[in-house]
Amino acid sequence: MDTPFFELRNITKYFSKVVANKDVSFSVGKGEVLALLGENGAGKSTIMKILYGLYKADSGQIFKDGEEQKINSPKDAMALGISMIQQHFSLVPAHTVTENIILGNVKGKIDRKACEKEIGELAKNYGFDVAPDAFVRDLSVGVQQKVEILKALYLKTRLLIMDEPTAVLTPQESENLMQFVRNFTAEGNSVIFITHKLKEVMEVADRIIVMRGGEVCGDLKCSQTDEKELSRLMIGKDLVPADRGSEEQSKNGEVRLEFQNISIVEHDQVPKLKDITFDIHQGEIFGIAGVSGNGQEELCEVVCGALHPTSGKLLLDGEDITDLNIRQRIDKGIGYVPSDRYRDGMVMDMTLAENMMLKTSFGKKWLKRGFIDKAKLNGCTEKAIQDYAVKAPGPDAMARGLSGGNQQKVVLAREVENGTKLIIFDQPTRGLDLGAVDHIHKVILGERAKGKSILLISTELSEIFALSDRIAVLYKGVVQGVFDRSEIDTEKIGLLMAGYAVDKGCSNEC
Amino acid sequence: MNAKFRDLLLTTFLAIVLGLGLSAVMILFLGKNPLDAFGLLFTSIIRDQYTFGDIFVKATPLIFTALSFAFTFKANLFNIGAQGQFYIGAVIAVWSSLLMGGKVPGPLALLIVLILTAVGGGIWGALIGYFKARFNANEFLTSMMSTYVALAIMNYLLRTVLMEKKGEYPQTDALNESVWLPTFVPGTRLHIGFILAVLVAVGIWVLLYKTPLGYRIRAVGYNADAARMSGIDAKKLYVIAFFISGALAAGAGYTEVNGVQHMLLQGFNPDIGSAGLGIAILANANPIGIIFASILFGALNVGGTIMGQMSGIPSSIIELMEGFVMVFVILSYFVRARLENRREKRKLQKKVEE
Amino acid sequence: MINLLIVTVVMGTPLLYGSISEVFAERSGVMVTAIEGIFLMGAWAGFVGAYLTKSLLVGVACAIGAGVLTAALYGWITVYLKQHQVVTGTAINILAVGMCSFLQRVIFGVPVSPLTVTPLPMLPIPLLSKIPVLGPVFFNQNILTYLMYLIVPASYFLLYKTSIGLIIRSAGENPEAVDVAGINVDRVRFILVLVAGVMGGIAGAFYSIGYLGMFTTNMIGGRGWIAFAICFLGNWNPKGALAGTVVFGFTEALAISMQSSGGGFFPNELFIALPYILTIVLTITRKSFNVPAQLGVPYKKEN
Repeated sequence: MDTPFFELRNITKYFSKVVANKDVSFSVGKGEVLALLGENGAGKSTIMKILYGLYKADSGQIFKDGEEQKINSPKDAMALGISMIQQHFSLVPAHTVTENIILGNVKGKIDRKACEKEIGELAKNYGFDVAPDAFVRDLSVGVQQKVEILKALYLKTRLLIMDEPTAVLTPQESENLMQFVRNFTAEGNSVIFITHKLKEVMEVADRIIVMRGGEVCGDLKCSQTDEKELSRLMIGKDLVPADRGSEEQSKNGEVRLEFQNISIVEHDQVPKLKDITFDIHQGEIFGIAGVSGNGQEELCEVVCGALHPTSGKLLLDGEDITDLNIRQRIDKGIGYVPSDRYRDGMVMDMTLAENMMLKTSFGKKWLKRGFIDKAKLNGCTEKAIQDYAVKAPGPDAMARGLSGGNQQKVVLAREVENGTKLIIFDQPTRGLDLGAVDHIHKVILGERAKGKSILLISTELSEIFALSDRIAVLYKGVVQGVFDRSEIDTEKIGLLMAGYAVDKGCSNEC
Repeated sequence: MNAKFRDLLLTTFLAIVLGLGLSAVMILFLGKNPLDAFGLLFTSIIRDQYTFGDIFVKATPLIFTALSFAFTFKANLFNIGAQGQFYIGAVIAVWSSLLMGGKVPGPLALLIVLILTAVGGGIWGALIGYFKARFNANEFLTSMMSTYVALAIMNYLLRTVLMEKKGEYPQTDALNESVWLPTFVPGTRLHIGFILAVLVAVGIWVLLYKTPLGYRIRAVGYNADAARMSGIDAKKLYVIAFFISGALAAGAGYTEVNGVQHMLLQGFNPDIGSAGLGIAILANANPIGIIFASILFGALNVGGTIMGQMSGIPSSIIELMEGFVMVFVILSYFVRARLENRREKRKLQKKVEE
Repeated sequence: MINLLIVTVVMGTPLLYGSISEVFAERSGVMVTAIEGIFLMGAWAGFVGAYLTKSLLVGVACAIGAGVLTAALYGWITVYLKQHQVVTGTAINILAVGMCSFLQRVIFGVPVSPLTVTPLPMLPIPLLSKIPVLGPVFFNQNILTYLMYLIVPASYFLLYKTSIGLIIRSAGENPEAVDVAGINVDRVRFILVLVAGVMGGIAGAFYSIGYLGMFTTNMIGGRGWIAFAICFLGNWNPKGALAGTVVFGFTEALAISMQSSGGGFFPNELFIALPYILTIVLTITRKSFNVPAQLGVPYKKEN
């Protein structure tokens, strides 16, 4: 057998709260596409960050062409021809494409014109439509990814590592990316891509490394395996999809939330939301699909009251709530599970009990003679911990100490309790392991069964399909039609997500 | 006692010891024996009742200014202007005391003076919060600069309307004895302002940790975005927090004017704000911890002054000690986080190996 | 009037040293909140060095040394140990006051008469200093001011036209991008804090041996903070710092001239407080943009 291009041997890495990697060994050959498959928290990103020199392993060795290498910083990795594109791009939004690409790679005085020319040509060679003098903050996520790739190409990378590259792309953009990967490896270069999507793996990978709980639990040739086997290896058990329950229920419910021509247009800028009109019934899950950054966050904030539309009306049970503020809407029974719980949903340096009263600190609920009723608050929190199977020492545990999935369950418990009429779920399962995802899906369906209305936003099409009664696609702030879940398939949604009009699958409204 | 609390006590104690130790080394440069110097420091503070009582007299205003910084710090705001709020408080206290002294019954006058001082200092402080809420003005800069403005106002008033009848020095007349804060330990200068300070510290703790308002202030401090998403109006809280913070610092003016100096003069306690800030750091912004940290600084102050008088060591050694202690306390934050981290990692490693 | 402008340049020089170095450090993501202490240590060490060796040059060197040491302590705690920048700066500023008043006493005891040195001489530049108005205002100043004339354009060039400047600006916007590019973020930031120590030390020396020829522990009196404020108000840009410095230098010059001539109708204290009032007014009225996205946030990697 040939000497592998790069080889990792017995890498172990501890973080203070989790074992990230335990005795991980695998290799990648020249011209090979290697997929690193596993759930969130399986240790995929960590092992790659070790190879790229961002983290230091506690033990283990790295070889290139059979020779041991010491990689102490990304500089060392780059010198060996390794580039890595992080899941959250490491670009400077306030700088231009060129400035981002040459950062740390040129010396002395910068000849802006020459650099821009060089990068323009590089982009042209690979068929990337990227303006070298554009500011990164003005680019869509898909284009930003191209900038990241250009950064690697600029350094003449031999091994390109991509962390969840398709998470932010439309299905069509993903297809283009896969084509690039094929071309790039055809030149003798190697690619490692980290993913948790089985479909992509089967499509593009030559070989697959499956990781679970920080360990390698499978090293398979793509041609000798199938999705079923991979899924079992990845999760460690077969997963039973959540039961959607009765299909008829939603159709009968009365209208609960109505969007009437809601737009957000600031000054002369591109509208953030444009003429949004649809309604959500009682006992219905209304799914919004789309690539992130197409107005989803604004849509959620319009409903929860953090953002006020520049025109249009929002009705809850027939009552105009457009001018109500966040606090008033909380009192009306609107719950909101935000996509970024670190930023919007929790106070990490407070206890779980304190987080439980975050949205209801104004009410009399937690008061006893003017002071906070600690006993009552602890009791409620204790109950939530048990009901939602939160792995936590107790109500006085700091939110920061919990895993992402358990933190999310706490937010969920609070919002389900507050949101007596309507609950917004924005990316409720992003970054969670499958066990937690499963649990959260069951909770969402359970609330639907109680007759609550659910607005579900997700970039994971599988999630949208698994839960929604009706589906709308959001593209550049515009709703691209509303569909019954039976009326639409992945391909159609993919086109809508990319802004193509499809033959008008008629919505309930028309 | 859990490991975290043990670390806290141990590292803070160590920080104080190291801070004092390094100051001792500095004393060597003077050609004096640091052991003698520190021996003197510690024996002098307990040499008689009067001196010992003075520790608490010195601690009193420090409790107020430390609380002032700590309170806004809980809302992730920086009130570096406690010194100025103290000046404003002192001016209001002396002015209203001069007006009422001998005319209004003592206890009533003292109560009115206290309220006026707190409200006046509160408004001076709340302006900073208002500028922040309304114009998004950086409170760190505005509060910092407000001190110099307050100082100028005080100096101006001291040489004009508030100037003594003799017209000789930029200082006020002495207050009528009826508006002096009564002492409660015979043979000392220890006045009831100290009790007030301790009660206020406890009150602030209750406010922060037991009431919804305090809860919201802390929530905004830890995560302003999440607080906003929960319907909490951060801007209103900025003004409220700065009002309370300013009122607290002004409280130091009240106890110093009515309790200790019984007059106001130029160059009055110029370091009380920064010392308060240091104490807040030492106490990790905990109101109860601030009481003890203030007493420690009070003791260093009293002992350091006596040491200076008796052994020729300059009294700037006090600031040096305080500075070193603060730096070591900040280092102890780091050490504690490290220890905690390592403990978690070891626990994990053990679990994995089993 | 010409005299007012001359004093404007004099008072502006140390502020510009301070604010430019603050611009650099803050562009990389660190606020040098120890700037007041750095100024003070510089002023003290500059005076001591100059007094003991009778050499102003040695004085300036000592000031730089003291500034760098103070900055190094600050940088170590905030950049490498990731501690709070405002809290750490405050502690170091208090320490600096204690340190220099204590050491002043150690070295000089209790002097009978105030200690003085001859301040840096004015070096009129031949020909240029003869130009009416501009000559005396700009070209009859001391060496530190002339050095400043070079630093302003050089810093602008460095920040915007070179790869080092790109790294600095990126470190304050998105340190991860710098890290991924294989550059040690903490090292970049620490070096810039040290640079702030060099420049702040010089600024401090300017107050003690630059034009007064003496030292007192309250001689900085918040001017470090004013330099800090200028950096904010100048939108983190050397040009803005220059503009801000002109405004503040002029205000200080005005205050000085009013104090010596008597303010007439207005009380003296108003002029003393003028720079501080101006800072508050400008902080309120000026919209700040360009704030480095990660200003004041330590770069932490999980490990």
